[in-house]
Amino acid sequence: MKRNKRRLQEWLISLPTLLWLSLFIVVPTVLVFAIAFRPANPYGGIGAGWTLETIRGLWTHGYLVIAWRTFWISAVTTVLCILLAVPTGYFIARASMKWQNRLLLLVIVPFWTSFLVRVFAWRSLLHPEGLIKQVLEGIGLASPQATLLYHPGAVVLVMVYTFLPFTILPIYAAAEKFDFRLVEAARDLGARPFQAFRKVFLPGIRRGLLTAVLVVFIPALGSYIIPDLVGGPASEMLGNKIAQRVFVDRNLPYAAALSAVLILAVLAPLIAVLVLQRKKGKADIIIGEAP
Amino acid sequence: MPEFLEFRGVSKRFGTIQAVGDVSLEIKKGEFFSLLGPSGCGKTTMLRIAAGFEEPDAGRVFLDGRDITDLPPNKRKVNTIFQSYALFPHMTVRDNIAFGLAIAKRTKREIDAEVDKMLHLIQMAGQADKKPDFLSGGQKQRVAVARALINKPDVLLLDEPLAALDLKLRQKMLIELDLIHDEVGITFLYVTHDQAEAMSLSDRIAVMDSGRIEQVGAPAEIYESPRTSFVAAFIGDTNFLEGRVLECQDHEYCRLAIAGLPEILCFNDRQLQPGQTIYLSIRPEKVHISRERPEEKPQRNIMPAAVEDVIYLGSTTKYWVRVAGYRIQVLRQHSRYFLDEKPLRWKDDVWIWWHADDGFMLDHFRKADESLLAVPPQKVGEPLNGPQEK
Amino acid sequence: MKKGRLPLAATLLVLVFFYLPIIILVVNSFNAARFSSSWQGFTLEWYAKLFHSPEIWLSVRNTLVIALGSTAVSLVLGTAAAFALHRYAGSRLQQAHYTLIYTPLVVPEILMGISLLMAFVAAGTGLGLFTIFLAHVTFCVSYVAMVVLARLQDFDFQLIEAAQDLGASWWQSTRKVLLPLLLPGLAAGGLLAFTLSVDDFVITFFVAGPGSTTLPLRIYSMIKYGNPPMINALSTLLLAVTLTAVIASQRLARLKR
Repeated sequence: MKRNKRRLQEWLISLPTLLWLSLFIVVPTVLVFAIAFRPANPYGGIGAGWTLETIRGLWTHGYLVIAWRTFWISAVTTVLCILLAVPTGYFIARASMKWQNRLLLLVIVPFWTSFLVRVFAWRSLLHPEGLIKQVLEGIGLASPQATLLYHPGAVVLVMVYTFLPFTILPIYAAAEKFDFRLVEAARDLGARPFQAFRKVFLPGIRRGLLTAVLVVFIPALGSYIIPDLVGGPASEMLGNKIAQRVFVDRNLPYAAALSAVLILAVLAPLIAVLVLQRKKGKADIIIGEAP
Repeated sequence: MPEFLEFRGVSKRFGTIQAVGDVSLEIKKGEFFSLLGPSGCGKTTMLRIAAGFEEPDAGRVFLDGRDITDLPPNKRKVNTIFQSYALFPHMTVRDNIAFGLAIAKRTKREIDAEVDKMLHLIQMAGQADKKPDFLSGGQKQRVAVARALINKPDVLLLDEPLAALDLKLRQKMLIELDLIHDEVGITFLYVTHDQAEAMSLSDRIAVMDSGRIEQVGAPAEIYESPRTSFVAAFIGDTNFLEGRVLECQDHEYCRLAIAGLPEILCFNDRQLQPGQTIYLSIRPEKVHISRERPEEKPQRNIMPAAVEDVIYLGSTTKYWVRVAGYRIQVLRQHSRYFLDEKPLRWKDDVWIWWHADDGFMLDHFRKADESLLAVPPQKVGEPLNGPQEK
Repeated sequence: MKKGRLPLAATLLVLVFFYLPIIILVVNSFNAARFSSSWQGFTLEWYAKLFHSPEIWLSVRNTLVIALGSTAVSLVLGTAAAFALHRYAGSRLQQAHYTLIYTPLVVPEILMGISLLMAFVAAGTGLGLFTIFLAHVTFCVSYVAMVVLARLQDFDFQLIEAAQDLGASWWQSTRKVLLPLLLPGLAAGGLLAFTLSVDDFVITFFVAGPGSTTLPLRIYSMIKYGNPPMINALSTLLLAVTLTAVIASQRLARLKR
């Protein structure tokens, strides 16, 4: 009797969010997959009937190039972010309490500014007549015709800029919980500093590392603004294509098909991690504080 | 004396673990009653059942004759001191103490008067407006006590309240708790794993293990007359010897045969049959040790032994001696400093004896309880075990 | 163990990297030059232009209305969700519940944007401020739920038992003990939701209708087609507002202690 009452209470209190999120996440996602199987309406929007044409249309050279580019830009961004975040997170975790709070605040504050604004700031900086170009010209590293903007490097730079705070935080959180005496023990047993770092510290924060990787790689796959504003046509990514199909071509089924691909691309690493979790029996590698 | 707080056949299971199994207990009014046992024995569960935070799967709880089993915690005239004190961090000391009275909707004047009285009792009138974060461990505990007592509960439940304090502070708070109990006269139900606490504070103790009550009695009774091997081994130290009854004389003493030892005489207060297997428990401080052979007296159990370990503890010395196949612990107090007596050392041949009144035959022996005795191993890597039996 | 130079160097590099564009931006907002490649004198001209722009004010109003609304709704929904996740942790329902709540946190915004767009188009509802509001609540709920859940997991529930032990009913112990102690968590969640809503571009871009422009949308069109120095000025203003809010909330948090 008590158990039923408890279950009823559980359902009641969970119901609002369950309903809302089912309605606004689950249903729309299913719709995206459904619409991918419909033809485009020549006047814009969704046509009638069902077809595989839209999906087949994905397998063209143009799309594959974009898919590949999306992948490698995201991968490079992820690697760079991790390379910068690990020493930074380590440094902050080893600082005194007072400094930890200050440094964390310093890391977070840019996040509080508008994302668009930050991308725009880089656009100005990287502009042919912008500051960085002037400095580089001054020290002879660039010619007046060179453009820093509108190519994949700029996209990677701004993506790293955007995602770095999100990478530093989970690594910091894991480093903070890490018992640094383990590294001391390793040194005591004869390990050189970098060895201790590689064999003891990095495995010790692997949960944070995994979270950091996911928190960059997956949003990076879906980037739209950054390639749009600083990337130019040579750096088009999946996100741009989707937006173009929606707003320029008014071709919703194509956009849906592309989105479905992106959804699968995003799900793949998540599912891989979940399977790894189950196998190893270790709970919440990504999820941190799962109930 | 009426039984004030009563548990009748209480059982509680958590998943697959039987935390409390068919326990019945009667606590008298005004008593200081302790539940003593190792972690996981069920003592905290019993306390929480009394408080109303757990519902028993079976059995009933009575307070002053009334069945309170189905009452929620806020409706019981029972208050709890939690192990971590659970002081409300966002309220001052004053507001914490006043909480129960404020809930009971007493007038502001009444509340202030009572709170001031309490502050005086715990000597914290000067800290009334501090928040718990700024208090020391001992101060927090006093506030917790005041917060509970101000409601004049029928029973005060204490859940290992001294566990978080360091040794010196714990000793001080022990005395304070004792004084408070004497002063206020309320029934205390005290839960602890520390025997010293339980023995020094309690009128009666219930020793628990694995959800069952092993023995209930006054501290001296528990210590001197343990009924089971668990009680004998958990409280203080002891030696276990397995033997056979030879003959019981007029319900006073029994003659026992223990392999490798001379005939042992032991006090007996129950019916035993010749040939019955018994287990003898003899506490180390009851065993005497000396170089010279002690005088033969009718009720003395005397035997030769060899010293294997000597552990000097300052006021006492612990000896581990070997008799036949057994390792026996002997505790000797140094009540006088003998200048010319040579201290007993490793490999010395000695004599040990104990009085027949000091041994105790257990009702119930469990081999597993031997692991509660910290018998030192003879080699590195050897497991700790009870006395060897050949 | 001695801290090597590398971590310190990396941290400094990262911090310079973070703040360089922002500093340049702020400086250039006072730059009289139209194309900010060189300094041509101090001016407040761009700020003045901002204040006199009705489109900007309209988008500010829209942004605030949506942010306040979605914060309020997501606070209620998110807190309820956090309670469910904490209290009934481990049950099958909550595991599914958790996955559902976790999803908006990991999927790229463009996916949320486009799926919501498809849903609204398929349902035939027009796109406008209301659809933006619905979209914002959807992702804010997850953030609020996570923040409040973390607070609940840190909360010592023995305090509630103590309150009950002292005579408080369920409602009394919630009102006098749980809520006051949970309030900082709720405020943090609310602040987070508000900020996310104000700043959101991608999802809003997909579900906005004509005439329902929020500040980020206006900024975007200014970037594509408009006046660079005014964007600098607007950005600086936004930065100042955000910083003030953050400092104020930090001061408030310290005061509460």
